[in-house]
Amino acid sequence: MPRHRPILLFCALLGITTPSSAEPVVVVNAASSVVRLERDEVVNIFLGRYRRLSTGAIAQPIDQPERSPLRADFYRRLVNKNVNEIDAYWSRLIFSGKTAPPLRTVSSQEVATLLAGNPDAIAYLERGQIDKRFRIVLEFPR
Amino acid sequence: MLSARPATRTDKTTRLGKHTLIGVLAGLLLICSPRTWAVEAPLAWDKPAFSLHGFGTLGISRTDQSDNAEYVRDLSQARGAGSNWTGKVDSLLGIQANYQFGPRTEGVLQAITRHHGEEGYDPELTWAFLRHEVLPDMSLRVGRLGTEFYMLGDTRLVGYSNISMRPPPDFYGTLIFSYIDGIDVSATRPLATGLLSGKLFAGISPEQVPFSPGLTWNLRGTKLLGGYLEYRNGAWQLRYSQARSRFKHKLPTDELLGFAYLAQVPEMDMAGQWARFDSIGLVHDDGPLNIQLMLNRIKQDSPAYEDSRAGYLLAAYRLGDFTPYLGFSRSLTGSEALPLTGDPMPNLADSATPSLVAQTQVDQHSYTLGGRWDIRRNLALKAQLDWIRGAPEATFLFKFKTGDKRWDGDMTVYSLALDFVF
Repeated sequence: MPRHRPILLFCALLGITTPSSAEPVVVVNAASSVVRLERDEVVNIFLGRYRRLSTGAIAQPIDQPERSPLRADFYRRLVNKNVNEIDAYWSRLIFSGKTAPPLRTVSSQEVATLLAGNPDAIAYLERGQIDKRFRIVLEFPR
Repeated sequence: MLSARPATRTDKTTRLGKHTLIGVLAGLLLICSPRTWAVEAPLAWDKPAFSLHGFGTLGISRTDQSDNAEYVRDLSQARGAGSNWTGKVDSLLGIQANYQFGPRTEGVLQAITRHHGEEGYDPELTWAFLRHEVLPDMSLRVGRLGTEFYMLGDTRLVGYSNISMRPPPDFYGTLIFSYIDGIDVSATRPLATGLLSGKLFAGISPEQVPFSPGLTWNLRGTKLLGGYLEYRNGAWQLRYSQARSRFKHKLPTDELLGFAYLAQVPEMDMAGQWARFDSIGLVHDDGPLNIQLMLNRIKQDSPAYEDSRAGYLLAAYRLGDFTPYLGFSRSLTGSEALPLTGDPMPNLADSATPSLVAQTQVDQHSYTLGGRWDIRRNLALKAQLDWIRGAPEATFLFKFKTGDKRWDGDMTVYSLALDFVF
């Protein structure tokens, strides 16, 4: 999110760690038995490496729209990659007939609706979008 | 012989293609029963059942050579780049259709057109398989599949998914197998803090490869078996792969020499002989930094091809949308005792053997400098320079305009490419 970068940088310089309502957090459906996920587990799920959860369920990841700033922010925080690299990564997997990428969506409202309707789904949303239908399972260090 | 060749080529592409297609379609019909659908639909939403993707490269390259030697991407290409710009080495177009029969079953078809073999740009059916997730972390594929002799080997034609212009020919150049008709099974499980995964494959080759100007070596029916074991932890990925091939058909050596050579020196006959490919791949992919190190060894049972060792190191660092990279690669073959006819008198066959084997000799290293610019989504522009230094007598990784195999052991390759996916 380039628009927020100067502010974030400013806060970081001052040692201020106020949570921004626009920052991405990883969430599951509140009905899921998953309480917390490690960053590596989230990497494995979103990059299609391994999607079986410790509960035995198969995580079904949902992506934000391709051009959404939240998506760029999420992958930068998760694996320090830009969206071009993530797309190149998926082109490798798609064109080698392996795992399918996370479910594509057209809006963050759609992400929230899909997540609310599926106990095995996992997504990332802006912190400000979280309500009682969802549970935060991973936050990124500020 | 020569006039019969194009017919064989068409025969291969269409007949085997049809064969596999029929097999796949029959399998698809079996799996696609309404009942399977109902059982396999735990998803709360519908994925699009059909998707079409494509990838391609518009690439041009030339060398500083004024002699006969032409630079090729791998030995599947009969002609390559000389002193004039050409699109032959890297340009290609691939189309892939995926059909989701249920959340756990998928059918995939992929066709690629690129310069390969003698005839040029005939499209090839590179994949036609059904993939089924037996378990969520175990999948089975049946049909025509990409081979993974080496790490990253099955996407070596998808330029956009790779950082550099092309996989280093010093390493991948001798890999003549791109796909198999067969089966593979792969599985992944957590181990310690990482992921352990493995794959086994078996099948037969439907391909053929240029042997010498005007002559093709038929690989159809060659048995291919192999697998890998990989451990991934954080930014590190380490893989050991092994593959074996048992060739079915003779090399067209008799046609090349113009007399019944193989009957006199049967050891030089590749039919029935095994080759073994061992490799280790290490990738470090941490944020903007990507480093790849690969080493391989190819052991040939037949003395017709020299055994070889190769390796490469590629390091890239992303700066915004621009990713400069540097590479080094090395490839070397070693000679063995040459087979003899046993005839004490000087004869044609014994005098031909050393030069035949010498044609498979490789002794070179390359330095690569390049940049990838991600212009916009799904489109990347690349520029690359390769400096190849080698022994003038080691000519295996090059193609020659005429039978006069000469190069001075020194070649610079200039390349530009646009890679895209859609």
